[in-house]
Amino acid sequence: MMAIRKSDVLVIGGGIQGSSTAYHLAQRGISVVVLEKDTVSRHASGVNAGGIRLLGRNIAEVELSKTAMKMWHQLDDELDADTGFRARSLINVAADEADLHTLRSREQQMHGLGYFHEVMLDQQELRERLPHVADHCVGGVVSEQDGYAIPFHSTQAFRVAAERKGAFFCEGEQVQQIRKVGGSWLVSTATQQYQAEHLVNCAGAWADLISVMIGDNVPMSYSAPMLMITARMPHFATPVVGAVSRPLSFKQFENGTVLIGGGAKGFADRANNTTRLDYSLLASGAHNAIEFFPIMKTACINRMWSGLEAYMPDNLPVIGKSARSENAYHAFAFSAHGFQLGPVIGQVMADLISEGSSCFDLDPFKINRYERKVL
Amino acid sequence: MADNHRAPSLDSSYDIAIIGAGPAGMSAAITATTSGARVVVLDDKPRSGGQVYRNVDTSPLVKPAVLGEDYLKGSHITASFKCCSAEHISGVNVWHVGDNGEVLFSLEGDAQRLTARQIIVATGAMERPFPIPGWHLPGVMSAGSAQVMLKSDGLVCDGAVFAGTGPLLYLIVAQYLRLGVKVKALVDTTPKKNYLRSMSEITGALNAPAMLIKGLGLMNEIRKSGTEVYRFADNLQVMGGDAAAGVSFCVSGTSHEIVSDHVFLHQGVIPNLNMTRALGLQHHWCEQQLCWKPVTNNWGQSSQGFISVAGDSSGIVGADSAAAMGRVCALGQLVNLGLMSEQQAVTEAAEDQRFMARQQRFRRFIDCLYRPIDQHRKPVDDNTVVCRCEERTVKDLKQGFAQGGREPNQLKSQTRCGMGPCQGRMCGHTVSELLADWRNELVADVGYYRLRTPMRLVTLQELSRFTDVMPAVSPSAIHSTESSSSEKGSSLQEKAQ
Repeated sequence: MMAIRKSDVLVIGGGIQGSSTAYHLAQRGISVVVLEKDTVSRHASGVNAGGIRLLGRNIAEVELSKTAMKMWHQLDDELDADTGFRARSLINVAADEADLHTLRSREQQMHGLGYFHEVMLDQQELRERLPHVADHCVGGVVSEQDGYAIPFHSTQAFRVAAERKGAFFCEGEQVQQIRKVGGSWLVSTATQQYQAEHLVNCAGAWADLISVMIGDNVPMSYSAPMLMITARMPHFATPVVGAVSRPLSFKQFENGTVLIGGGAKGFADRANNTTRLDYSLLASGAHNAIEFFPIMKTACINRMWSGLEAYMPDNLPVIGKSARSENAYHAFAFSAHGFQLGPVIGQVMADLISEGSSCFDLDPFKINRYERKVL
Repeated sequence: MADNHRAPSLDSSYDIAIIGAGPAGMSAAITATTSGARVVVLDDKPRSGGQVYRNVDTSPLVKPAVLGEDYLKGSHITASFKCCSAEHISGVNVWHVGDNGEVLFSLEGDAQRLTARQIIVATGAMERPFPIPGWHLPGVMSAGSAQVMLKSDGLVCDGAVFAGTGPLLYLIVAQYLRLGVKVKALVDTTPKKNYLRSMSEITGALNAPAMLIKGLGLMNEIRKSGTEVYRFADNLQVMGGDAAAGVSFCVSGTSHEIVSDHVFLHQGVIPNLNMTRALGLQHHWCEQQLCWKPVTNNWGQSSQGFISVAGDSSGIVGADSAAAMGRVCALGQLVNLGLMSEQQAVTEAAEDQRFMARQQRFRRFIDCLYRPIDQHRKPVDDNTVVCRCEERTVKDLKQGFAQGGREPNQLKSQTRCGMGPCQGRMCGHTVSELLADWRNELVADVGYYRLRTPMRLVTLQELSRFTDVMPAVSPSAIHSTESSSSEKGSSLQEKAQ
């Protein structure tokens, strides 16, 4: 005998996408239960670099990202919590003429589409904004509205706000089976059964497994992007920094610690909920950091880690309705740049469920975009 | 002068890598090399000996004898260690040991890598944190660091107060007195009830009469010196605003204050966990020693078969047992390596294992007698600092707990407690115990921080110089590659025919 818990919507995955979805649904008075196999924000949503980035977005994501950025600037008030959000300009540094060329063609493309938030910097402007940048850096591009947040706090903020509005989070509940009976989704875990009219898959690095249970095949992969953080050092950089063509990204927090990322991937061990670091790649990340900012030579690395993240072959997320089942929706595989989109994705999911459609063009994010066409 | 003797080697893979050159690590190396294993020992200090035998061969003191016989006997073991064939890489910062047998370390500004079939972790102990009001103030140090200064540089501190409990505390006070250094007072926080409770373990203590007599001797020595001694003290606090100004405490309800700019605190030692934790080994909470310990079998083997843990890093055993345990771990690994029969290992380990069992009975008595009181482990006062690196107080932690930080890692993400450069060493145990109280659950169910590499801080420059070079190919390896390729060639020829 197993108790059954009923709700309008069942969200699988307690990361930022699932928590934001729960928040937006609860706000509209829709009853929602979130199932999380570990604890809320245990994986990618709790341990990512916290970049709130509009700069350099894939064209397909620009509209979503712009809307999300507006939401971030008011998110602390909206959720009545501290998400750790800080507005900071984000600068991608150009190391050579080839990088500048890349930036110029991007500028042309963006202007053609009517986007003007990315502004090129010449060498002198770059140096004014980043006095410690290495001499060989020739310029860059800046987006003024970007920033960073503390991912664990942001995700928790969505969770707590959602709970305040009546959402229910169940931690330690791993989905074992999903069935559609009549108009209802029946989901069972080891201890409990759940029933809901709508099902949302926000299961991150485990989302392909949930997709298959729902009836959608998806060519998702997962990996372990790595990060390291230094002990406190004297303040030397206010903007968040990236590089045009090198795997480098870092930000210095107000307490002086510097978080260094750049997308280098470690080794994922999904079955055991864990990851392994690739020290030779971290070493080249360290090398890049020093090459661009010699001041970091003596910085002491305090912690290194990686989280499990889902990727699609085109590095674009899956967002939208299930291709095969009614009343099922997906939001996953953000390919290491989904944290910034969190606030808007919850809204999109809530729109799909309560209105049946979204005002955003979700075509590039369809789950079946890789399905082989009939020859 | 560092006693770095690393033979010029063409290959950086070993049968056994030992982390730590204290009694456990040195003994393990001696035993393993005697049976022909290729052994490397990595240690962060310039000379072998560990904390307990620090600088035993090169004491800065005119008469090192004041440090006691137990210290001086370390020179026997360091001497045999120097004669054995193990490579000793000293003064290195081992910042990663992988569960794949990979060891990464910084040496002279470069990051280097070696691999080993078997690994012995012998990283020793650290002093138990003493989270009382004011323990974070300048002027407060641990009694252990007073001893480090004495052993390394011959430095002492006049007119200090020593407070707490445990043999090391009395030892350092006695060492100070023998050197003629004035000790303002000894504030002993061992409660009366410990004396009563430890009586049930007295048979264990009587099995090791020499140790018992030594312990009593120290106390007599201190009393005879005329040093002010306060016994049965509780409610210990460090006074002062910006720096330590002394201590206050109660003895059976009466308050006392002692003024001094220097306060040395000590309430026992706990295993140095960062390596065994970062390796993902299984740990258990030991109620007798109030600390986390890696799970090991009779051979010191951890939950990861090729990794053994020896000495105090496996649970506090003391220097003599640590040496015995190092030998036993090495014997077990020699069997794993096929360098010794199981039968021989069992025979050779028998005496050490008997010795360790006897010592364990004595240890039960010591643990019972010097069990630190709850008040000094689990701070109640809202303003007491728990995490010194990030300056997080009991109040901050309570807040984080209320916001959902019910488990050490969540609490860490919530409050930053444990995120600083000490990597949780100074707050981990306090957090485990506080959460257990707040949740009204066992410490074992609360758990500990999820630790990862780097096990020690490493500079960006050191890391950037790490190149994952394959071990340089030795002439014999070149030969075998050639022969295998020629074999391949011949088989192809055969196929062609």
